Amino acid sequence: MGRAEYKVEGGKLVKVQLSKRENAIGEIRITGDFFLHPEELIEELENKLEGRPFHEKDLAEHIKDVMEKNEASMLGASPEDFARCIMLASEDDD
Amino acid sequence: MMIEEWRLLDTGLRDAFYNMALDEAIAIARSKNLVPDTLRFFRWEPSAVSIGYFQSMEEEVDTAACDERGVSYIRRRTGGGAVYHDRDGELTYSLMANQEHRLISRDFQETYKVLCSGVVLGLSLLGIAADFKPINDIVVGGRKISGNAQTRGMNVVHQHGTILREVDPSTMFRVLKVPNEKIRDKLIGSVEERVTSVNTVLGREVGFKELKEALIHGFQDAFRITLVQGDLLRFEERLAAKLGKEKYASEGWNFRR
Repeated sequence: MGRAEYKVEGGKLVKVQLSKRENAIGEIRITGDFFLHPEELIEELENKLEGRPFHEKDLAEHIKDVMEKNEASMLGASPEDFARCIMLASEDDD
Repeated sequence: MMIEEWRLLDTGLRDAFYNMALDEAIAIARSKNLVPDTLRFFRWEPSAVSIGYFQSMEEEVDTAACDERGVSYIRRRTGGGAVYHDRDGELTYSLMANQEHRLISRDFQETYKVLCSGVVLGLSLLGIAADFKPINDIVVGGRKISGNAQTRGMNVVHQHGTILREVDPSTMFRVLKVPNEKIRDKLIGSVEERVTSVNTVLGREVGFKELKEALIHGFQDAFRITLVQGDLLRFEERLAAKLGKEKYASEGWNFRR
């Protein structure tokens, strides 16, 4: 189980809790005080991140893709910030 | 030119579950065109903690401390952070408007600024020099006096926000989780540097009635609308009762993340 918190500069706090499957994301939960519209997309995003390797750039791209397909928008955090926090969580508690 | 009319509601002191359910019920009624664009004022009895849609109840709220004090805890349908809603310290507003309204833009940040201008102007009518501070705050001399959160769906924009009349930092940090016990007192002390209230700024007791009057004028002038005192539809009342019980008071909703 890895956990991390990442305070976005000029933005909100992103928290990630995840389990690792080899070098990929097992289960993941993203919490925080950011805004994501539509809100329900967070669960789909978490599901779609499962099994993804810990590669920061690819993760950011993937999150961006899911958001664009759903015409989603975020305030106080970005796909890059989510990816950063996932990487930090992956380095926690090995 | 006809002045645009919005419905004005004041639902007084209600519990957290009804309060959050009624916001959703009004948004649904608005989406079905059953009601006009609406501004609502409300308060919380008992006092409550609300968390943002994406937050974890276990991580943000000391639910045992809440239970001891009779403070409710609830997840909002909007994002943002954890808020302590004090029965006597806070006035809350919500507005539900058609997404095609001239005040609403595609850009969430811009829309926060425009919708918060009603609160900023209302506070200025009381003699408080407040400013909107991105992303979603209103501040006086850098100290937060109002927090706001917005969501959209079914072609309706729903924004709700707090106006602090009075601050109670010790209860606030009793019911919210702190990173560790050692810094609790420090956090309580530093609230004065980060948060302010209507009473603090003006150095006198401002009643809820006076505060509401000022905000009504602020919203009217900032939005170029007339607020007309109205009533809830039976549809809204029934839907709010149902959503309050089945969604907002449920463990499944409040502890889902």
